[in-house]
Amino acid sequence: MNFKCVYSILALVVAIHNFGIAQPAIDPVIEQVIESIAENLTEENDYSEITERLNFYSKNRININTATIDTLQELLFISPLQINNLLSHREESGLFVDLLEIQGIRGFDTETVRRLSHFITIEPPNLLTDLTPKNLAAKGNHDLMIRFGKVVEKQDGFRSSDVNAPAYAGSGMRVFTRYRYNYVNRLAISLNMEKDAGEALFQSPGRGFDFYSANVFLKGNRLLKKLVLGDYALQFGQALTMWSGLGFGKGAVLTSLAKPNIGLRPYSSANEASFLRGISATLEHNRFSLTPFISCKNVDATKSDSGEEINSLSFSGLHRTSTERENKGAASQWVYGLNSRYQRKPWSMGLTAYRTQFSLPFASGKTLYEKYEFSGNSLVNLGADYNYSYKNAYYFGEFAHSFRSGSALINGLILSLSNQVSIAMLYRGYARNYHSFFNQGISESTGAVNEKGFYSGLTVKFSSKFELITYADFFRFPWLKFRVDAPSKGYELFAQLSYNMNKMFKVTTRFKHQLKAENAEPEINRGIDEVEKQNLRIELSYKLTASLSIRNRAEVSAYRKGMASAEYGFLSYQDIIYDPLSSRISGNLRFAIFDTAGFNSRIYAYENDVLYGYSIPAYQGRGIRCYANARYTFQRGFDIWLRYALLSYSGQQTVGSGHDMIQGNKRSDFKIQLRFQF
Amino acid sequence: MKYIFLLLILSHTSVNAQKNPGPRYAAMGSAGTALQGIWSMQLNPSGITAIEKPEMALAYERHFLDQDISSQTALFTFPYSGNVFGFNVERYGFTEYMELHAGIAYARKLGRSLSLAIGFKYHQLSIAGYGSASAFSAEAGFQFSVNEKLILASHVANPGRSRYEVLSGSNIPVKLSLGAAYRFSNKVAAACDLIKILNFPTDIRLGLEYSLIQHFSLRGGISANPFKQYAGFGFNYNRLSVDAAVSFHPALGYSPQIGLGYEF
Repeated sequence: MNFKCVYSILALVVAIHNFGIAQPAIDPVIEQVIESIAENLTEENDYSEITERLNFYSKNRININTATIDTLQELLFISPLQINNLLSHREESGLFVDLLEIQGIRGFDTETVRRLSHFITIEPPNLLTDLTPKNLAAKGNHDLMIRFGKVVEKQDGFRSSDVNAPAYAGSGMRVFTRYRYNYVNRLAISLNMEKDAGEALFQSPGRGFDFYSANVFLKGNRLLKKLVLGDYALQFGQALTMWSGLGFGKGAVLTSLAKPNIGLRPYSSANEASFLRGISATLEHNRFSLTPFISCKNVDATKSDSGEEINSLSFSGLHRTSTERENKGAASQWVYGLNSRYQRKPWSMGLTAYRTQFSLPFASGKTLYEKYEFSGNSLVNLGADYNYSYKNAYYFGEFAHSFRSGSALINGLILSLSNQVSIAMLYRGYARNYHSFFNQGISESTGAVNEKGFYSGLTVKFSSKFELITYADFFRFPWLKFRVDAPSKGYELFAQLSYNMNKMFKVTTRFKHQLKAENAEPEINRGIDEVEKQNLRIELSYKLTASLSIRNRAEVSAYRKGMASAEYGFLSYQDIIYDPLSSRISGNLRFAIFDTAGFNSRIYAYENDVLYGYSIPAYQGRGIRCYANARYTFQRGFDIWLRYALLSYSGQQTVGSGHDMIQGNKRSDFKIQLRFQF
Repeated sequence: MKYIFLLLILSHTSVNAQKNPGPRYAAMGSAGTALQGIWSMQLNPSGITAIEKPEMALAYERHFLDQDISSQTALFTFPYSGNVFGFNVERYGFTEYMELHAGIAYARKLGRSLSLAIGFKYHQLSIAGYGSASAFSAEAGFQFSVNEKLILASHVANPGRSRYEVLSGSNIPVKLSLGAAYRFSNKVAAACDLIKILNFPTDIRLGLEYSLIQHFSLRGGISANPFKQYAGFGFNYNRLSVDAAVSFHPALGYSPQIGLGYEF
C-alpha cells in the first residue's frame, strides 16, 4: 500500500466523520454573515459560537448609543474603520436618533447598515437594572436545547466479534444538551453537555456525559466590567500570544484580517479543546483595563512509551476507543497571566504575559521538521499589540515572544481609499521556534510559526450592485514542515466578483489559485514538488416568492503535483429554501452531485443544518449528497428541528475507514433538536 | 552560477524582452494597457494621445538586485497638431548578453473617445561568443473611453511573428494585451490587463494608484503568471516627476527601478 492510498483513506475518515457534525441559523441575515466569514475556513471549526453570539444580539439588541468598541467588534461583519467612524460620529454629533444617520457615516454602505439593523436598537442610554433576586427570576430568560443525532448504518466500531468487544465503548447516538440563562445583558449562565458517537453515557467507564462545559458570566458597569467563572475564552490583540476559541484567517472578507480584540468572553462552543477553565475578570478604570486569568484543566495527550513525556496533544475531543479514553485528560495544564490595555482613541495598546505549565514535559521532536517545536513543561509568553486609526486608515499589529525561544511579528493596514475602494496589507514574520499554545495568528499553515508572508487585498464596489474582492498572499516557510522536507514557499491568489441585481437575484463567481510545495511521491524523486490547486465557483441565488428561494452552485477544482497530470473535481448542487415570514414551518433541501478524482481535488461546501449545528464537509469521490432540514414551531419559545442527510457513493463497497467504516455505499444521518425558551 | 542564471534569464527574457513598462506602470503590476501618459509608449502607444506638451522620460531598472542585469530606457513624445509622435530606446542585459530596442510610434485621437496608434521597432540582440542578430517588428493599439471613468484598451505586438534570423533561441514575443482602467475618484485609479504571449501562459495583472496627497501617489499591484508583487510611489511637481517601483518575484527576488520625467 503506498502512501497516497494511506493519505486518501485518512482523509476520507476525516471527511466522513465531519459529515456527522452538523447548520444555518434560520435567520437569513445571520446565515449570510456566517457564510461570508466561514467560507474560507475548514471543517474542523465550530461556528456555533458565532451563530449563538449573533442570535443573542438579534434578540438582545445592542443599544448603539451606549455600545463600546468591544461589543461592536463582536458583530464581526463591521470593520474596525467603520466602528471607529461610528463612535467618532457619536462623540461629535451626539446620540443617534435614527438608523438613517448611520448610513451617512463614512464607510457605511446600505448592505452593512441593513445587516447592522438586525442587531442594534437606538435608545437613550439607560441605567442598568439591579441584580435583585426578584428581577433575576422575573426578567431573566432561559433557553434549553437538546439534540440527538445518529448515523443510521452500522459502523465497524460498533460491531462485536466472538472474541472482541466493539471498539467503541458507547452507542452511536450523539447527544448534545445546551442550557442558557440570560438576564438583560448583565448575568448569563451557560452549560453544555455532549457525548459524541461511540462515547459512553452513564456507564462505568464514563461518568455521565463525555464533555461538560459551564460558566457564569457577570457584566458590570463600574470597576468590574466582566467576570467569568468556569469556562472562558481570551482573545487579545492579533492572536499571536493569546487567542482561544474560534479565530479567522484570510477570507473573502478583507476586514477579518484585523482581529477584533474582544478580550474575555464566556465560552459557549462545543469544541472540547479551545478554552480555558477557571476564573477571569476584566477591571476597568478610566482608560486602563486589566484582565487577570487563571486556568487549570486536563488535556488529552498521547504519552511516550515510558509515560513520562507528552508526545503530542489531541484536540479532537473524541473518546470512543480504549486508546482515546486512555489519552483523555492524560496531562494537566495550568495557565495564568495578565492582560493590560490602554485605550485612548484613536490608540489602543495591550500587553499580555502568561505562563503555561504542564504536569508532564513535552518530548523533544523526533524528526527533523519538529526540531524547533516546544519541549519541556513550562512556557512563558509575552506579547504587545496595538491598533491605531487615522482618517481613513486602520493600523494594527502585535509582537510576541516566547521565553528562551523565538518571536513573532505581525503588522497590518486597512485603508479605505475612497467610498468604493479599500485595500488591506499585512506582513507577518513568525520564527521557526516561536511557541504558544494559544496562537491563532493569520497564517497559511496552522498557527503562527515558521512563516513569513505578505498579503495584499483589494475590495472594489463598482456600484451598489457590483463588488470585486481580490487578494494575493505570498508566503515562505524557512524551516521544514510536515510532509515538506525542505524550506519552501508558495502563494495564493483569490478573486470574487458578485452581482446583486436586486434583493431577489444574486450571482457570485469566485476563483482561487494556490501554489505550495510538498514532498514528491517517493517513487518519483526525493525532492519537493510544486502542488497547484485551483477552484472556480459560480453561485446563483434568487427568490421565487417571498418565502421560497433557490440556490445553485457549480464548482470545479483542479489539483496538480509536480509533473504528474492534473486531477479534477466537480460539484454542483441545488438548494431550495422555504422560509415564510409568519409560519410555523420552515425548511430547506439540497441535492448535490459530486465527482472528484480523489481526496486532493475535494471540494468544500457549506451545508445548512439545525440551529447551532454546522458543517462545511469536503465532497470527494463520486456520488450524491442530499439533505432536508425542517423546523416546526409548536408555540412561541418551543421549536423542533429535524434533519436527514444522505451520502450515497457510486462504485464503492464501503464508506469511511477504520472504525467508522460502513459496509455498503451509503451513509445516512438524522438529527432531532428541541428548544424551549421561557 | 552566472551561466545558470543566464539560462534562466534567457528563458524568461522572451517574455520580458519587450521592455520595461516604466516605474509608474510597473508599480501598478505592469497593467498599463489602458493607462495614459508617456510610459504608454512601452505597453500601448495609443495612451500617449493624452499628453499635451512634449515630454521626455528616463528609467533605470536593476533586475533581481544582486546581479548585473539592468535595463535603461529613454522616451520622448511630442504632440503636433492633433498627432502625437513617440520614440523609445531601450537597452537590456549585461556585458555578455545585450538586447537593444528602438521604436517609433504614431498616435492620434479619432473623435472624443477613441485613440489609435501604430508603431515600428528595431531589435538587436548580441550574445558574447555567439554573435548578434537584428529584426524589425510592428505594433498597434487603441484605447476607448467608455465614459469619464472607464477606459478599455487593446494592444498587439509583433503580429507578423518577426524573429531573429540567427540566435533563434531568443525571440520577439507575439503578444495581445486587453486592458481596462477605471478612475474611482480623483484620488484612486485601478487598472487590469489580460495578457497573452504566444507559447506562454496567460497573465492577469492588477494595479492600483492612490494619490495620498497632492503631488504624491502610492501604487501597488500583482500579476498572476508569473506571480509577482509590485509597489511604488511617484512624486510630481510642476514639470518634473520622479517615480520609483519595485517588483518581487518569489524565486528571483527584487527588481527595483527609478524613473525621471520632464514636461517641456
